[in-house]
This record gives sequence, structure tokens and C-alpha cells, in this order.
Amino acid sequence: MRTKFSGILTLMLALVVQLTFAQQKTITGTVTDDTGLPLPGANVIIKGTSSGTQSDFDGNYSISANVGQTLVFSYVGFDASEVKVGAQNTINVSLQQDAAALEEVVVTGYSTRNQTVQTSAVVSISASELSQMAPTTSIDNMLQGKAAGVQVTAANGKPGQGAFVRIRGTGSLVAGASSPLYIVDGAPIREEDLASIPNEDIENITILKDAATTARYGSRGANGVVVITTKNGNRNKDAVIRYSSRYGTTSMIEPNFTLMNAAQKLQYEAEIYALGGPAGSLPGVQTTPGSPERALLLSRETDWADVMLKDGIIQNNNVSISGGSDRVDYYFSVSHDKNSGIIDKIDGFERLGSRLNVNFDAKEWLTMGVNVGYSRSTSDEPRDRNNTQNPFQVIYVTNHYETEYLYAEDGSLLLDDNGNPVYNPTHRNFATRGALETEPSTDIDQVTLASVDALVKLSKNWSYNFNTSVNHGLIRRESYSKPGGILDIILNNAPVGNKFDDQQDRLDLTISNRLNYNLLLNNHNLNVMGLYEYNLNEFYRTFVRSTGFPSPLLSTQISAADLNDGFTNRSRLTLVSYGVFADYDYKEKYLLSGSIRRDGSSNFGDDYKYGTFWSGSLGWNIAKEDFFGVDAINDLKIRAAYGSVGNRNGIKRYDSQATNAFGFYPGGSSSYPATVANPNLKWETTTTANVGLEFNLFNKRLRGVADYFVRTTSDLLFNIPTAWEAGIIDPDGRRGVPGNLGKIENRGAEISLQGDIVRTNDFTWTLGGNIIFLDTEVLELPGGDDVPAPTTFNILYREGQKINEHYLVRYAGVDPGTGKSLFLGADGNTYFAEDLPEGENRVFQGKSTIADKEGGFFTNLNYKGFGLRADFVFKAGNWINNYVRSNAESDGQAITDNQAVTAFNYWQQPGDTDVLPSPIYAAVDQSINSDRFLEKGDYIRMRNITLSYTFPSQYLDKTPLQSLRIYAQGQNLLTFTDFWGDPEVGISSGETINFADSVAPGEATLYSYPNVKSFQFGLDVSF
Amino acid sequence: MKKIIYKIAVLTLIIGGFTSCDSELEQIPFDALATSQAYITATDFENATRGIYSTLTNGSLYGGSDAGGMLDAPDVLADNVTLASKGRNSRFSLHNWQYSASTEPMGSFYERSYQMILRANTLIEKSVDFEGTNKDKVVAEAKALRALGHLNLATFFAKIPTQSADANGSPGVAYVTTADFSIEPARLTVAETYNMIVQDLTDALTGIPATNDPGRLNADGVNTLLSRTYLYMGQWQNAINAANAVTKTVAARNNVVGVWEDSSKDGVIFWIDVDPPGLDITPGVTWSQFGINTLVPEYVVSYPLFQLFEDDDIRKDAYTLQARNGPTQYNAIKKLFARADGQFPGRVDIKILRAAESKLNIAEAQYNLGNEGAARAALDEVRTKRYTAPPSGETGTALRDAIRLERRLEFAFESQRFFDLKRWSLPIERGGFGDLNDGTGVPSTGQNMAVGSKLFQLPIPQTALDLNPNLQQNSGY
Repeated sequence: MRTKFSGILTLMLALVVQLTFAQQKTITGTVTDDTGLPLPGANVIIKGTSSGTQSDFDGNYSISANVGQTLVFSYVGFDASEVKVGAQNTINVSLQQDAAALEEVVVTGYSTRNQTVQTSAVVSISASELSQMAPTTSIDNMLQGKAAGVQVTAANGKPGQGAFVRIRGTGSLVAGASSPLYIVDGAPIREEDLASIPNEDIENITILKDAATTARYGSRGANGVVVITTKNGNRNKDAVIRYSSRYGTTSMIEPNFTLMNAAQKLQYEAEIYALGGPAGSLPGVQTTPGSPERALLLSRETDWADVMLKDGIIQNNNVSISGGSDRVDYYFSVSHDKNSGIIDKIDGFERLGSRLNVNFDAKEWLTMGVNVGYSRSTSDEPRDRNNTQNPFQVIYVTNHYETEYLYAEDGSLLLDDNGNPVYNPTHRNFATRGALETEPSTDIDQVTLASVDALVKLSKNWSYNFNTSVNHGLIRRESYSKPGGILDIILNNAPVGNKFDDQQDRLDLTISNRLNYNLLLNNHNLNVMGLYEYNLNEFYRTFVRSTGFPSPLLSTQISAADLNDGFTNRSRLTLVSYGVFADYDYKEKYLLSGSIRRDGSSNFGDDYKYGTFWSGSLGWNIAKEDFFGVDAINDLKIRAAYGSVGNRNGIKRYDSQATNAFGFYPGGSSSYPATVANPNLKWETTTTANVGLEFNLFNKRLRGVADYFVRTTSDLLFNIPTAWEAGIIDPDGRRGVPGNLGKIENRGAEISLQGDIVRTNDFTWTLGGNIIFLDTEVLELPGGDDVPAPTTFNILYREGQKINEHYLVRYAGVDPGTGKSLFLGADGNTYFAEDLPEGENRVFQGKSTIADKEGGFFTNLNYKGFGLRADFVFKAGNWINNYVRSNAESDGQAITDNQAVTAFNYWQQPGDTDVLPSPIYAAVDQSINSDRFLEKGDYIRMRNITLSYTFPSQYLDKTPLQSLRIYAQGQNLLTFTDFWGDPEVGISSGETINFADSVAPGEATLYSYPNVKSFQFGLDVSF
Repeated sequence: MKKIIYKIAVLTLIIGGFTSCDSELEQIPFDALATSQAYITATDFENATRGIYSTLTNGSLYGGSDAGGMLDAPDVLADNVTLASKGRNSRFSLHNWQYSASTEPMGSFYERSYQMILRANTLIEKSVDFEGTNKDKVVAEAKALRALGHLNLATFFAKIPTQSADANGSPGVAYVTTADFSIEPARLTVAETYNMIVQDLTDALTGIPATNDPGRLNADGVNTLLSRTYLYMGQWQNAINAANAVTKTVAARNNVVGVWEDSSKDGVIFWIDVDPPGLDITPGVTWSQFGINTLVPEYVVSYPLFQLFEDDDIRKDAYTLQARNGPTQYNAIKKLFARADGQFPGRVDIKILRAAESKLNIAEAQYNLGNEGAARAALDEVRTKRYTAPPSGETGTALRDAIRLERRLEFAFESQRFFDLKRWSLPIERGGFGDLNDGTGVPSTGQNMAVGSKLFQLPIPQTALDLNPNLQQNSGY
């Protein structure tokens, strides 16, 4: 820090004071790093004076000095070097990297350690790396392909929507329990609330993957921990004002299939009718080719994607000011993000955020800090359901001969009483375009993240840390059916209006006491921490729904005539934790860590409130051994970790207790058993074994990490299904009794490699990538019985099978003789639908929704300030049930809806092969729940390509600017896949299975908001 | 010295924290009551009784559903309705008999019926230690609802005793009488199942009051159910006796339209008020949506049924409706369509039991006993209140057919038809007519179901089989 400060100070002096001395000679030279790369902007100071200069863009400098004086060469992140001026006129200096500065910092939330002495599998992503990634509104999306073992599946393409993040597989079988724990400045935050954090405020994201670090989070760390730290200012540094701005457009990624146009669909209708299909009333049958009626239909060809969608706008602006004096540092920022989304007539996501982080030394022994961030996001919520209220379903199912507006008999547009054209409800009886105007639904989320920290230095070795972290969210949804609107008239047959206000107040409060002992003695470095922590999570909800709104302009409940529904909810979840964590190293060579944590959680049975979680790990950096003399190897660390971590998510807060819930039935209250008592309800426990290897080779030009892990999760939290005859359904529709069930395993290997292919003065080229190879298995289920997965379509758990395997009848193609669909019976023989053997014909085929290979790779070229970077993400081995395709190639079953052009390719005569089944038998064929549309979800996608230019400092010298970077960026411009449609599938249909309820993300496609591509231009400037 | 003070202060903080926080782990719910607190007072038991009834308002029972429920499936499966091509194809596979165990037709109905049974069983078990004044009444109601739940299940998933000679020995349903989440009960035979239903209903009669609050069963209701059960069992005299115990009279002709617009409750024994802010449900969406000129029907009156309504039959006005959507005209289903003002389509009180059933049960039972006079008399008690010039005087097979016709007309779209065809061993024949008001348009895909088809017994849902190894699938699936 001091070096940096003095360097900057001197730099400023050097810029201001341009002194020359008489009896001097001019010395020139080049400043390079240890690998020979030039260091532009390195400071060259004459020791003991305030005069000096700076190296230019190519590392060259020129300075006048007297013989006998000493030149000090310094550069941020490098050890300073001193050279005495003698007879020479040229002094070339190669600076060595500062060992401390080089080390990546790993933030575990309870402590900060250097990567060098880390014995856990962790990935740390710094702010500078984040700034190079494809920007998104929700930070979890950015992690895809960036960290080995972190599987990220975008939930969908809705602006502000987050992602499903799974660290090292799927560690739980219930909804909401497989996501990692997210900690922002000490406070846990829900995955779905991550979009409330502006990206620019993030200093570091550290992903903890194995028990050595996750066990420190005890009952919540089983599925990995993502620790997010916000930025702080630098001490002793004048304020740096940074402004960044980005602007661009988005649009739907072009589908890799073609829907029928008007002429094709009309023809297809006639064909289906000819085959006896229910198409008699459709225009393809009612009008004959060449007739005026047919011509009229064709003349009104409408591409419904053009009608429903627009080009979206992305806009981001951020200003931050950071700096500090010797006792204070601060970071202040304001940001604004807007992403309009691609649905015409509604707005997308907009977020306003501000943050102030301040740390100050109140006394020699007392440092205090406060981090406060507030953000307000609004998001227009389109209907994400499997019906025609969903704009994206409209694009697929509306026939292109159907028009946006209705026409009168004379061919003119039909006008309503106000002279406005009337939207066409189409064959789906719903004017979705109009509904986007009359049925607004908006989420308004306000999130405050605040943490207060006091660090008391008790002695040289002892310190005490008191920390309070709060995450408070006010989450409001307003959903209005305006009086006289499309839905209102349908539902009420009169202008009535219907609106609900749903407000959730979520508080998560953590009070943490930590006592630290630090000992650095004769190369022995020991750190021990004692933890005592209390966490309270409280939830309030207020819901009001009324009808009878006098005007579409009035939307608050006070104007409504009739209250239809109004209620509040409240619940609490508490956690009390005690822990001791210890880290030890000897000369950074032998590393040893251990942790033990005891958590008590209120949601478990009386006898099982407390659970104990622990870990032990060790490491050995062979390269630091004296006997190890291989110059090419800079670091070679092997490490191993083992431990047990818990999970308490995925059940409700009072699930261990027998309760009666209350509702209404004419006459008064109704009371009914809601939950069954389970005093034995306890932790889900994951034990993780991990061995890893980290290396840096050839002057750190090649860097790599490899890990092998086995995660075994037992006592899985699950709503253990009960016989349907037992009748156990809770008020939320949940079946079964919450309990602990079975055992699953995720095991795999991760490799992460990065290398500087070229590293010369003007030109660097870096390639990097990572991959996880994952195997999952259901090891044990109670009694060995199969268990149907909750909130999925066709997932069943069976011992010996993968987690989230599809369980379907096998489709065996088309019988060339008859055109009928063929299926495989359980016996492996081929049958027609009606001949399938009695009993179960569904089978497992090892086809899971979980990718078994996933990762990313990038290439980054830099030439004299120009940069070209491309990031790719890939996924392989997962299977997706493509319902959207099954509706578009429906063999005439969905004949009223538009179809894909490929639907024409059906069996027509004996001998036809490579065809779709004959529509004649479709009704019976499709009653079989088969894997006909189960497709491989493999893809490689170019997530990001960025062309940038960073202005060299010498150009900025005469300006007030410190740095200036401009760039152009494209996202999702290229995709390689054999999947029909977009292969990035998270949510199938948000109102069928919502984000929080998703157990098997990516199981099926069902018209959720599609992913988008974008072009953006941006600028980062600081002064 | 200073340092020592700091340290002490810090340690005090920590220790203070320790002691104060452990009690925070004892949390009880804010939104629910411990079950141990929920069955104590007479009011508690009234609330718990209403809790059983409230299951009936679930979409898959009588609340109206897109997926098929007690309210609509007996007609959707039979010949009273035609799938409307303008609709959303809801219940397509149910209507066209394209179901298998894995498509789980009426799966939600199966689950919710047992949920109602669980609630009834919980109350019955909790009442053992309860000595309140309303004990007999609430237990009677619980047993009656337990019987209703099992009867409904048995009619869909099992044979009906009179359906065929082998029916009584074939699998019935699992008859559950305990509130226990760990049960895995096997199916009783049909005969055993119906005996249990009779037992519960007979028990219920001992405690059920002659009159009860709206939305609750009374003695008339239990007797109607008992009469129906005996009729299904072929115990004709018992069916007559139970029906004779029903005191409610058949709705007068001039009230029939009002009954279905909720301006009259004449002849209605058991109904549920759906108005907000109480229940706020719209059962009528099961048949159609939107207004009379913008109707989007899911199902319309089948053309053959529509033809059967004579012009002087008040039910033609009360049950059917000429509605349109643009140029398309329908014989729409008016039962549950809307109240008189046409607002809030589909928001109409649920009617579960009506007095006319007891008369038609008597007519059918008397006919089967060979008492044609008594049969005609009972039949005419309904017919005289429906027609201005009622048909009369049939004998022999004509009388039997007249009884069956009247039952079809009276209880069209009212949870009976499929069971009647099933127990009479009649095929389902839809006649090939389309969905429009003149019989043209798109006919339903499935047209005929032969007597003896396995499809008369819906398959036990696959998930239920997966979860209960003792459960036996119906033959043919």
C-alpha cells in the first residue's frame, strides 16, 4: 500500500514539477517485467529528490541525473529496484513481481487468505476480471463458464432474471436447496434477489467449492458458497472518479427452425383434413387454393414475431468515487441499469442503485466500517405460462394468416367505439397484444444491504470483530386487470377490473462475534478464529385483491368496490452458530486448516435442532521446497480436504410440527390438518472429499488447477411421498411428509487452465478455459423404492440412476409399412401404441437434465491498447424434453396452431423412412408419454465478443483523464447446437414451475422468455 | 489496564449473546395452529367440519377444473357434451378416452378425494376425547363426507355393482378410516367398498340433523346419498326407503330457471355458495368462458341431447343456452354459465344434491322391483314439474327408458351421466355430431365406447401405484 501511495504521489509530482538540472547527463532505457514485457507508466525517481519521470507506452524512459545518484524504478505490483548512475548512459531494468501483490486473495467471508496458502478448492474472481465479462443485470449469469465446477443455467432471457447456479452437481432433491449460499458483505441473499446488486459495486466474488471452506458455513454451506464483497476505497489515495457507460440493443436469437407461413399452413390444414384430422372448420379447408378468400388470407400474411417483439434497449451508467486518507477509505457509487426486454408494449427491467462503503480507524486499536447499498428495481412481468396470455407462445402458435387487427366485411379495419382498431383474438380467443396494455404486472423490489463492522485489536495477537449484516428486501408485485380490458371482459363480461398487491417484507439479520488469534513466529503462521453468530430471517407478506375499479387510471386498492381477498403471512427462521476455525502454514510450504461449527436451526425437530459440521485440509507447495530446483515450475501445490457440511433449505419453516391451517367455508372458518409432525426432521448432510493440484509454470505463463471431488449427501431433505390414499396435501399443494431420505452422490473432476501463448512488448494472447466432468448417482432411497421428483414433468428417482433422469417410454421411430409410431416396451420389443404390454413401459436411459460436461473458454488478444476478447460457454450431456417442438410437429393434433415447416415431412406411403409419423394415428400415438422429443441439450455458445481500445497514458497526459477505454461488444452472436430451438433452457414455463420451485431446471421447453443476443457499446473513464 | 477492560467488555458481550439466543430456536408458526390446539372446543370442531367440506370446492371435485373433476367428468366422459373446437381442448384425452395409467386421468380428483377423507378421519379420531354438544352432528357429517369421497372414487375407478355380474368381486377402492400418513392400503372389492359406504352413511343418519347450515349436509342429503348408493348396489327396496326419507320436494317448474341463476334454492338439498370474499370461485369455467356473444366453450350440449329437450321442458331454458362467438353458434351449457345479470360468468353456486334425485331413484328402483305404478308415480313427480304437457303412462321397457331419459335430462351436466350408462351397461354413442348448434361442426374424436370396455373404469393413476405397492391396477391397463 505504501509503495503504491508513494508511487502515485511521485507520479503526480513528476507530472507537475518539470525541473531540469545543469550538470546532468541523460540516461535512457527500458523498464520491463520479469518476462521482458514493457512496463508503461513505471516511475523512475532520483532517490532523495522529488524529480523523476515515467516510462512511456513501450516501457522507454529518459531522465537526467548526476553520476552517483541512485535511480529508483517502481511499478504497482512489482518490487522497486534501485540502480546507481555510473558511466553508463543506458539503464535497462527488469522489475520482479511483488510476491504479495501477485497472490490472489480468497475471501471466505469469515477471513481473507492468500491463494498460496489456501487448502480448499476455491475460485476467486476480481473486479478487473468481472469488468471483462459479458455484463448482465444479474451477477449469477456472469459466472457461467468462468469457474470450473460451477454450472450456470440462465433461468430464461427475461431482463433481470437470474440463473440456476449449481456448484459441483446437484446436492439436494428438493426445490431451492441445490443453490449455493450467497453472502454479500456478510449477509445471506436469495438467489432470485441477486439482480438487486449492481455489478460495478462488486470487488470480488469468491466461490467456495469444498468442505475446507464451506464447512465454515455449517448448516448452509453444503451446496457451495458464493461470497460477494463490495468495493472499498484505497487508503492514502486521492479520489478517483470513475464513469462507465454502456448502450446497446437486444433481440431474440433467431430460431434454428422455420415456422409455416400462411400458404404452408393453409396447405397443411387441407392435408390433415384429407387424412381425417379435425381441421374441417379451418381456413385451409374452408377456402380453396386460388379462390378470392384464399388470396385475401394470403395477402394478410403476418409474422407474429414481428408483431409481438421489438428490439430492446440496454443502458447502463455508473459513477463511482473512491479514495481515502491515512485513517479513512471510502467508496461511493450510483448506478442506473435499464433493459427494456424484447416484448413490444411493455418495459423490462430497470434498476437504480447507490452505495457507500466507509472504513475508518477510530483509534489505534479500533477500526470501524459501514457498507450500505440500496437498490430499487422495477420489472414488467409478462405472463410466463403455457397459454396464449404468454407473448412467446403467441409467436409459435398463431397462424400467419391471422392478422393483428380484425377486419370488417368490406376489408377495412374494424374499429371500436373510440375509433381504434380492434385486436384480433385469433383462434386462441385472446388478444395478447391488447392484453399487454390492459393487464400490466410489475415487480418493484427494494433491497437494502447494510453491514456494520468493528475490529478491536486486543493485543498483538488477539483481535475481536463484531459484525452486523442486514439484508432487507421489500418486494412488491402489482398485477392489474384493468376494467374493460381484454381479460376483464372475458372473465367478468363487464368492466369490473381486478387487481392484487402482493408485498413481501424479508429481513435477514446476522450478528456475528469473532475472536481472532494470529501468530507469526519463525515462519510458523497460525490463525485461529472463534465464532459466535446469530441469524434471524423474518418474512412478512401482505396480499390484497379487489374488484370493482371505477377507472383503468386508478389502481390502488382504496378505489375498489369489492374486496375479494386480503391476508397476511408471517414466519421466522433462526440460526445460532458456534465455531472454531484454524489455519496454519509453515513457510507457505506446509499448509493445514481445520474447522468445526455447531449450528442450531429453528426449523428442525426438537431432538435435532443442533448439528455439527467440520472439515480438515492440508496442502504442500512442493515448489517451495529447497530440494525442488525445477526453474520452469514456479508453484506446485497439492492439497486435500475432507469435511461435512449441512443444508437446511428445501423445507418450510415449521415442517417438524403438526399444524392445522385455516381457511374459509360458508358459515365461517375452516380448519384442516396442514402438516404432520416429524420430530426427527434434521439436517441434510453432505460430506465432501477433495484432492487438488495447483501449478504455475514457465514464469507463471501457464497456470492451472485440477480437482477431483466426491460429494455424498445423506439424510436428504425431502417431502417423502406418502400413498395418495393417505391424503396428505398441504395448503400449498405439497404432497407427502417432510423428512430425511436416502443418499445421493456427485463426483467429478474439474480442470482449469490458462496460458499466455504470446507475451511480448506489444502483443499478448491469452487462452484459457475450464471444464467439469460430472457424474451423479442416486445411491439410496428408503426401502429401495422409487420416488417421483416434485415439481417436474417426468423425473423419477431410482437407486443406481442419475439424479434428475427422464423417465419415459422409448419412441422407436415410424413403422415404414403403416406410418404408425413405434415404441419400445419394457421388454425391449417394438410395439404400436395400443399394443404396448400392460404395466410399466417407461424406462431410464441415463438421460438426465444435468449436464455431465460443462465449462467455458476464452481467447484474449491485446495489441498496443487494442483488445479482442471472446468468451465461450458450453454444456454437454444433458437432455431436454422439447415440448415446444412437440407442439410444432404435432402430427395434426394441434392443427389449429401454427406448425413448423418440418411437420410436412410425415409418412405418406409404405416404405417412407426418415419421416414423422402419419397424422392418422396421432391421437393414439401421442397418448404415450414417450421420449420422442427428448433431445440432447449440447451446445457451444459465444457468450461474449469484445473489441476494445484503451488509450495509452501518454495520450491522456494532457487531459484530466487517468484512463479511458472504449469498447464494442456482442453477446450470444454464435451458437453451435443440434438442439431444435435455443438450447439454453432453464425455466420451462414460469407459472407452471417457477424459479424457486424448480428441481430439475432445463427439463423441458415450454415457451418461457427466450434468450437474447445483444450489441453494445461502452466507455470506461476515470479521472 | 485499559486492555483488560476492553477484553472484559468484549467477553461480556459474547457471553451475554450466548445466553440470549438459544431460546430463539423455539419458533412456532404464525399462520397455523398446532394440531394439538385445533380440536378442543365445539367451535374447533365446527371449524374442522367446515374444513372437510372445503375440500369439495377444490377444482378437481366440485370447484370446476380444466383437468377434469367431479363436477364435469361424468358428462365429459359420456354423451351429454361435445368438445368445442373453439375451446382450449381441455380434458381432450378424457373426453376422447385416450387415457392410460401414466396420463393419470382424474389423478387430482383421486388425491383430493383422499384429502377430504383424511380430514374426515382426523376429525373422527380427534372427537374420541371430545364431549361437546355438537359431537354427534360433526361426526355424522364427517362420516357422510367420508362416504361421499369413497363413493365418488368408486364410481370412476371401479365397477359399479349393477354394472356386470363380475362387478362385486372386482377391485373397488381403498377405504380409508384412519388418519395415518404411513398407510399403504389395498383396494377392497366393489362389494366391500359399497358396504363400507352404506355403513358410514347409516352411521351418519344417527347424528345428522334434519336441517343444517347452508353448505352443509342434512338428513335429506345423507338419505339422498344412501338412496343413490343402494341404487348403484341394486338394493332396490333400500334405495326406495332411503329416498322416501327425503323430505325436500322437487323444485317447482317456475323455479327451475331460478335455481340455476341462484335466485331460488327450491329442491336443492346441498349446495355451496361461491361468492367472494368467501370462496370466490367460478365453477362454470369448466364448461365455457366469456359472455353470451363472445362465448368460448370448452364443451357444448351434445346435439343428440339437445334434441331430447322438448320445447315445453323448462330445463331447455334452464340448462341450455343459445350463445355465439362471431358467426359461430352454440348450444351452450347454461348450468353454471352465469347468474341472471350475466356478470361474472361462471360464478354460480355449486349444487351437489337435489330432491329430484330421490324421486328418480324411487322410479328406477320400483321399476326394477316390478312396481310400475309406483315407478310412474315417482317419475311423474319430476315430470309434472318440468313440462307443461308432461309425457305419461308408459309401461314396460318404455317406462324404463322414460325413467332413464328423465334422469339424463334432469341431471345433465350434474355429475351423473357416465355412472348411469356404466351401471345400465349401455355403450357411449355420440352420434357423430359436431359442436355447432345445428349439429354440424367438428365432432369429438372419440365417438363410441362399447359395453365392457376397460375404459369405463379409469386407470388408477401411475403415481398412486408407484407410491402404494399394495394397490392393484384395473384390468386392461
